Amino acid sequence: MTEKKSGQISDRFGGRRNLVFFSGLLALVAVILLDIYLEAQILEPMGYFYIFFALVATCYALYPLYVNRRLTRYYWERTRRHRLSVLGLAFIIFLIAVALIGPLLTPDPTKVNFDKKNTPPVGFTIQQSVFDTKTDQLVSRETPGTWQHPLGTDEKGRDMLAMLVSGARVSLQVGLLATLMAIFIGALMGVMSAYLGGWWDNALMRFTDVMMTFPFFLLLVFIIFIFGPSLAFIILAIGLTGWTGTARLVRSETLSLRTREFVMASKSLGASGARIIFRHLMPNVISSIIVIATLSIPGIILAEAALSFIGLGDPTVTSWGVVLNAGQRSLDTAWWVAVEPGIMLFLTVLAFNFLGDGIRDAFDPRSQQ
Amino acid sequence: MKKAGLRGYIIKRLIYAAIITWGVVTITFVLLRVGPMSPADKYLSNMSARTQDPAQVVAAIEARYGLDKPIYEQYFDYVVNLARGDWGWSFSNSLPVVTLIRRHWVYSFQLILLSMLFSATLGILIGVFSAVKRYTRTDYLATLFSFIGISIPNFWLGIMLILIFSVQLGWFKSYYDTGLPMFSLANLKALVLPVITLGTGMMAGYTRYARSATLDNLKQDFVRTARAKGLPERVVIGKHVLRNAILPIITIIMFDLSGIVFGGAYLTEIIFGIPGLGRVSFNALFASDYPVVVTITLIGAMVVLLTNLATDIVYTRLDPRIRYD
Repeated sequence: MTEKKSGQISDRFGGRRNLVFFSGLLALVAVILLDIYLEAQILEPMGYFYIFFALVATCYALYPLYVNRRLTRYYWERTRRHRLSVLGLAFIIFLIAVALIGPLLTPDPTKVNFDKKNTPPVGFTIQQSVFDTKTDQLVSRETPGTWQHPLGTDEKGRDMLAMLVSGARVSLQVGLLATLMAIFIGALMGVMSAYLGGWWDNALMRFTDVMMTFPFFLLLVFIIFIFGPSLAFIILAIGLTGWTGTARLVRSETLSLRTREFVMASKSLGASGARIIFRHLMPNVISSIIVIATLSIPGIILAEAALSFIGLGDPTVTSWGVVLNAGQRSLDTAWWVAVEPGIMLFLTVLAFNFLGDGIRDAFDPRSQQ
Repeated sequence: MKKAGLRGYIIKRLIYAAIITWGVVTITFVLLRVGPMSPADKYLSNMSARTQDPAQVVAAIEARYGLDKPIYEQYFDYVVNLARGDWGWSFSNSLPVVTLIRRHWVYSFQLILLSMLFSATLGILIGVFSAVKRYTRTDYLATLFSFIGISIPNFWLGIMLILIFSVQLGWFKSYYDTGLPMFSLANLKALVLPVITLGTGMMAGYTRYARSATLDNLKQDFVRTARAKGLPERVVIGKHVLRNAILPIITIIMFDLSGIVFGGAYLTEIIFGIPGLGRVSFNALFASDYPVVVTITLIGAMVVLLTNLATDIVYTRLDPRIRYD
């Protein structure tokens, strides 16, 4: 008896995973509000993002992929046909591994050592003037690259490899968490707008238009300027400003689905609004959402890098943008400081673009090859 | 009948534009008030006279700028002042914001205009060429190039260009020289690296759009007819295909403004020290000079709004197939 009842409740939300997801979300919001109210700092702000990320990933990516194994294999086969997208995926997995394991193997990226400043990467040798303590004079000396600092050091003697590893962590955090946030808000806005229609649709879409009118980067700079930079806040700000494209796409897809026969049939059988949204509309737009998510990660990683490059990033973390900024100042003495983080940034963005292209072709049944 | 429909459409678009303008202004106001620092604090952080009682100074500032009024009156004043063109006072420059903008906008304008010309011309040319030679080595090369162009962070590209062409080769100055007359070859030369920095990403995007738009059009019946008529390929591509492919590309170029161009121009101006609006806003950020930051954000939004409006309206004139309802 009780089992049947719980079945009905979860049915109203369109399946058990939605119920799990929303109760999890509610619990999370409750804890956050409690945290703000008590000023207790139960978790670091980033901790909440991770829990949210894990919740969404389990309910809407891992669980469906696990249940529909045949479909998973089909998507994988289609994605695999794109050799470049597999290459991109391999690089992203490598980057995730670096971000997770790397900090354990590399020295502290903030450790300053002026004796070792401006050491070039292995295989390069530069001439630089060094202050000789014995003669009290500046002497020109050859500085070869050493294996102690395989990618060299910057003007303060910080290890480049350690800084790049730390930057990989920051970029992935921002790229994944902020994208997830933006996509979540956008999808919710889009589906609501299309499903509710009428006055709501008008209001939500005009609000989307207003947000789209702001140049993305200028709005981001403006918000960070007002609220101050911290990594969690940057992620929040990107999430709260970057959802407009998704909202529009999801709205138009939902609108075209809304009048299809299977939705009509479900409605005439007396299905509730939530059930139609979560059981029939959402699953059908989810492939477009995944594609747009993958393709918006690079832009968001670049936005964070650009913010920290101009000095609006979180001052407590070493991100690629910060290193690049330092590199720009020492271009004539240590070229590698500017070159290395840029190459990492470029490869990461390229990898996500390749993967996104592959996934788009795999998920879009119209693009038969 | 048709004319009335068009006029109705334009009026409707103008009303939408007015609503969006109001929304944009309101959002900046709300953000300013919600922020952890009150406007008075931001003013205060710019004052060197700290001998007086801070509470008194804050009260004086609040009275001077109307911050002691009820919030709806402040909002009303904010909107009215913006509409009247009274955009506040820049502390860090000791100038009215309007004067500051009037002095500096032209640098951003020339950078953006030249970059758009550069990227649109080259991008469309390469895209059409690569569509005509599809699935050849040229096409693959162009595709690879556009992938690289889209993925390369433009601020890093700018730094690399400085490293190679200014530091190593010494062909260009790494810093923009403001003393040059606007219409001179020297000024154009000073803008070469910034334009490449800003234009490469855009160009790569346009290459892809132009390629796919051309491919779509090459399949159309009118192309077959044109070829069957015995027209030379040059005319078929140059006249029939290009003309149909170019409209959607122009829309994309216009809509790119908000996403890619302004953000890119902001960073490019900072890297090369071009005294445009991006650079002015950047300097104002670190001086907590918030009227400047607000105004430049609003100007960006307004330019986007007006170009979108203009594109929509011009489009209905250019393309008779568009329905407006």
